[in-house]
Amino acid sequence: MAGANTKDIKRRIKSVESTMQITKAMELVASSKLRKAKERVETARPFFTMLYDTMRDAAISNRDFSSAYVAKREVKKSAFVVIAGDRGLAGGYNANVLKYATQLMEGKNALVIPIGKKVGEYFSRRGYELHTEKYHEAEGLYLEDAYDIAQMLTAMYRAGKIDEIRIVYTKFVSMLTQTPDDLKALPLNFSEELTEKPAAKETLYDPSMVEVLDVVVPQYVGGLIYGAVTESFASEQGARRTAMEAASDNADTMISDLNLKFNRARQAAITQELTEIVSGANALQ
Amino acid sequence: MANTFHLQIVTPDGLAFDGETESLIVKTTQGDVGILSGHADYFAAISVGRIRVKNPDGSYRKAAVNGGFLRVTKEVTRVVATSFEWADQIDLERAQRAKSGAEKALASASDPGEVELLKLRLRRANNRINVVEGK
Repeated sequence: MAGANTKDIKRRIKSVESTMQITKAMELVASSKLRKAKERVETARPFFTMLYDTMRDAAISNRDFSSAYVAKREVKKSAFVVIAGDRGLAGGYNANVLKYATQLMEGKNALVIPIGKKVGEYFSRRGYELHTEKYHEAEGLYLEDAYDIAQMLTAMYRAGKIDEIRIVYTKFVSMLTQTPDDLKALPLNFSEELTEKPAAKETLYDPSMVEVLDVVVPQYVGGLIYGAVTESFASEQGARRTAMEAASDNADTMISDLNLKFNRARQAAITQELTEIVSGANALQ
Repeated sequence: MANTFHLQIVTPDGLAFDGETESLIVKTTQGDVGILSGHADYFAAISVGRIRVKNPDGSYRKAAVNGGFLRVTKEVTRVVATSFEWADQIDLERAQRAKSGAEKALASASDPGEVELLKLRLRRANNRINVVEGK
């Protein structure tokens, strides 16, 4: 009877140990990917801040709203580029950003452009309109893919099929904190940030501001998407690492608990056997 | 040495160039544009093409660029490039592979959007090859 009990506990210890091996391995993989992803975010950051600053200067000086990208229009259809992971097991990473996106979409006629397998699955199950059949994976999305997406979106924007473009992603705040966030990519609207009036600098636009914006805006949107993907990817790895660290810790305490139980059961079995032998011997006397 | 100006070349892979130069030649959507020190504030889109930056010894350092924009202000001239490679960094073999791949795919593509994308890809590959071969 006691023997069966110790056997059970032993089996459980083994199973928890093998789970722990997996979570440990995933933690290590996430750590090394995180390091690379962080580097990528940091090298790309100056590019995006400059992209953003230049765009802002140009959009602010386009005060006659002659460019389709700057002009305000009634929003009938909103495109949401939603970026999350390809895989689960990353704590609340996917759930948080998807919940955030769903909140933003409330009351809007939304079109979802999914990046990351989980996004496509989530929104198609809930009956949202998805733009692409084939889901882009968040890992291994290169700049050129981001430009392809941006080209397609800006073409739709010009054709009036969509009236705004927003990007929902997870901001990489630190190794331990990642928060879902969104960017308004189009229309270009920087008036909220306009605290002081723009410097009355005359800039020469070659050949004209509208034509320059037509070429640069798709690149700008592509750059924003790529930047958001790099941030999201780093966040995913950070979230996974934290989740796996917690899982490994839990497995560790579980194993020591089970070990204690196992030793108690073993001891109880020995004690019982001894009592049996002793009482048996006593009976013979 | 003649007048120089501060040039920054910003790419998604970091700063490719940050320093003083005497002259910069960029292919914009309107054609080649040369920038010298004291240029007026300027903003133009860059097309797939080649960029040349003058070295202190008077020779030009060449690079392939696939788009982006050029912004000149009094303080700094910035090339914000969506992709940027100095001639000596280009992987010629890869460019040639990309070229033949795009050509092959183009022959069988029918969707106009896809054809457009493939044509762009071909142009980028050709541009890289041209920059390396110094055409």
